Amino acid sequence: MQRPALPILVAILIVAGLAYAVWSLSDADSNSRALAFSLGLGAVFGAVLQRSRFCFYCHTREFLEERDPRGVLAILLALTVGAVGYLVVFGAWLPVPAPERLPPTAHIGPVSWVLGLAAFVFGVGMAVSGSCISAHFYRLGEGSPTAPFALIGTAAGFGAGFLSWNWLYLTSISAAPVVWLPHQLGYGGAIALTLAVLVALALAVLRASRVKLTPPAAASFDLDHVARAMFVQRWPAYVGGLAVGVLSAVAYLRVAPLGVTAELGSLVRTAADQLALLPSTLHGLDGFRGCATVVKQALLSNNGLFVGGLVLASFASALVSGEFKPRKPRFDEIWRGLLGGLLMGWGAMVALGCTVGVLLSGIHAGALSGWVFLAFCFAGVAAGVWARRRFAF
Amino acid sequence: MSLKQWLAGIGLAAALALPAAAQQGPLVEAEWLAQNLKNPNVRVFEVSVDPGVYERGHIPGAVNISWHSELVDPVRRDIVSADNFKKLVEKAGVTKDTTVILYGDNNNWFAAWGAWVFNIYGIDAKLLDGGRKYWEAKGLPLDNQTPSYQAGKIDLPAPKLSLRARLADVSKAVESKNITLVDIRSPDEYNGKIIAPEGVRELSIRAGHIPGAKNVPWGRAVDPQTGKFLPKEQLAKVYADAGIDGKQPIITYCRIGERSSHTWFALSKILGYDVRNYDGSWTEYGNTVGLPIVNVAGTVWQGK
Repeated sequence: MQRPALPILVAILIVAGLAYAVWSLSDADSNSRALAFSLGLGAVFGAVLQRSRFCFYCHTREFLEERDPRGVLAILLALTVGAVGYLVVFGAWLPVPAPERLPPTAHIGPVSWVLGLAAFVFGVGMAVSGSCISAHFYRLGEGSPTAPFALIGTAAGFGAGFLSWNWLYLTSISAAPVVWLPHQLGYGGAIALTLAVLVALALAVLRASRVKLTPPAAASFDLDHVARAMFVQRWPAYVGGLAVGVLSAVAYLRVAPLGVTAELGSLVRTAADQLALLPSTLHGLDGFRGCATVVKQALLSNNGLFVGGLVLASFASALVSGEFKPRKPRFDEIWRGLLGGLLMGWGAMVALGCTVGVLLSGIHAGALSGWVFLAFCFAGVAAGVWARRRFAF
Repeated sequence: MSLKQWLAGIGLAAALALPAAAQQGPLVEAEWLAQNLKNPNVRVFEVSVDPGVYERGHIPGAVNISWHSELVDPVRRDIVSADNFKKLVEKAGVTKDTTVILYGDNNNWFAAWGAWVFNIYGIDAKLLDGGRKYWEAKGLPLDNQTPSYQAGKIDLPAPKLSLRARLADVSKAVESKNITLVDIRSPDEYNGKIIAPEGVRELSIRAGHIPGAKNVPWGRAVDPQTGKFLPKEQLAKVYADAGIDGKQPIITYCRIGERSSHTWFALSKILGYDVRNYDGSWTEYGNTVGLPIVNVAGTVWQGK
């Protein structure tokens, strides 16, 4: 089948534009290099998400509703690969996990009931809006009718999070322990426990599986087949999981742990600050690890470029594969996006990140906060999926 | 052994002898350091402000110092204790024969503060001129491995408290007028238009400066292009134009005592003046009951 030429031409222009931007941002100093690297990495991340449709919510929902284990196994694979990758980096940076030190910038957050509640609410928000925040970003590139509203809702949720922060901080978060497993177990014990739990989860998922998988038919290695497999057909879920795990470790090595909400949160914080909607002080917020929000002083930021690259590369990828299908949103898509986004934004602000920043980057780093997010977020998704079926919305 | 090998041997011996000759003075050049990274008598420390900068790429072999935990006393508002300082440098393999070189981000801002602490404890630490900025601009190599060295042994002399001014010294200086006070903060802080720079909490009750202090912002000591200190003559002129000529003792201060270490380094180590750094700085002086200030702009904290 002949594919239309125009979308492919636009995609090539986008990729060329991204490459040019990376090249022109690369300067001699480490700040410029970090900006350039973030843009490039965001683009690769966006392409991977779009091609493999890697999405925390969709994969979990497919497992819960259809008992299809492939997506959840891909998430577990991403967690495994990234945990090993982080360990490699830690070994070079902090050879001994001394009690008074934490690995620099790793997302090791405070653990309290607030984190559990935030993760649960985030999970419900995913179920209502149909995606996690990172997937809404890549779906923005596919022209999704829901994604823009989900992201607007997320921004509003961040605002709500900032307004509730001081009370939550003084009530609980200020006294919450920041637990890094290697402090308790050493690197060996921490990675052994992490891998053991991941394997146990994978076995449980496989036991619950009800999908008969047939081996893929052998395809010939001519240019046409390979090009279709690369650019048109959906990549197998495990390819996405593998790539996300590698990208997470690479991002940590070079710039910062993966996260997709810091820029969005910072934009909200800056705007709210300008409009004097925020409390004059957000107690203790800037002292925590995670997807840090700041009142913006520079236009370009690592996370802003990362997310920008993600959306643009997803757009280019969707154009080529024919998955760019914008359409007018239905009413239910609008309100589900806004409401789900609101819940996710509040959860991501109070938990100091989302499924990428806290769950993925946290578990990779050996942070207890990542595991707590995983457990409560899963509960939230399960509750949300059940409620959607029960009340048919 | 061939003639060529002999010559190479002589060259190598000359190169090894070179360090002592090339590193006279308080600053070392990046080009020189790049040639001397393997020299066992050279130990490089990075003191940067931003977390994760060291880990993601530092000068090969450099040891990281976390200024906010390893160079301060965690309980008192004070510099690190002599015992903990000794442990820190011995762990990095420093002995009495080691040439210690510090560098960092932001034009060596905190590295200069580190150099001040090192000098108080009797180690004549040098700064890599231009710091991280110049090193990166030159495209010199970076590494992300954390080195470990065989522990050294060093006996430190009694701390040189003459490098440090305390509140009482500053108060006396205000009255006696035979000590030059140098305020290295921005003119807006100095004049009392603002209490702290943008993005920094207002930790002082009052705005303004110590009576009699002369204002030379710390950044004037460096070439903004390279991050290197100005040549000695130009540096002397910058300060002389502000009435700071080294004829009488000097006390430098800023907001918390870190940026003023940079000026302390320029005036004391490069120009050879008699300088003390006042690390209590404006957050101590400006908050102290009963001491006079000059507040040109008249800004009052939380006032209407």
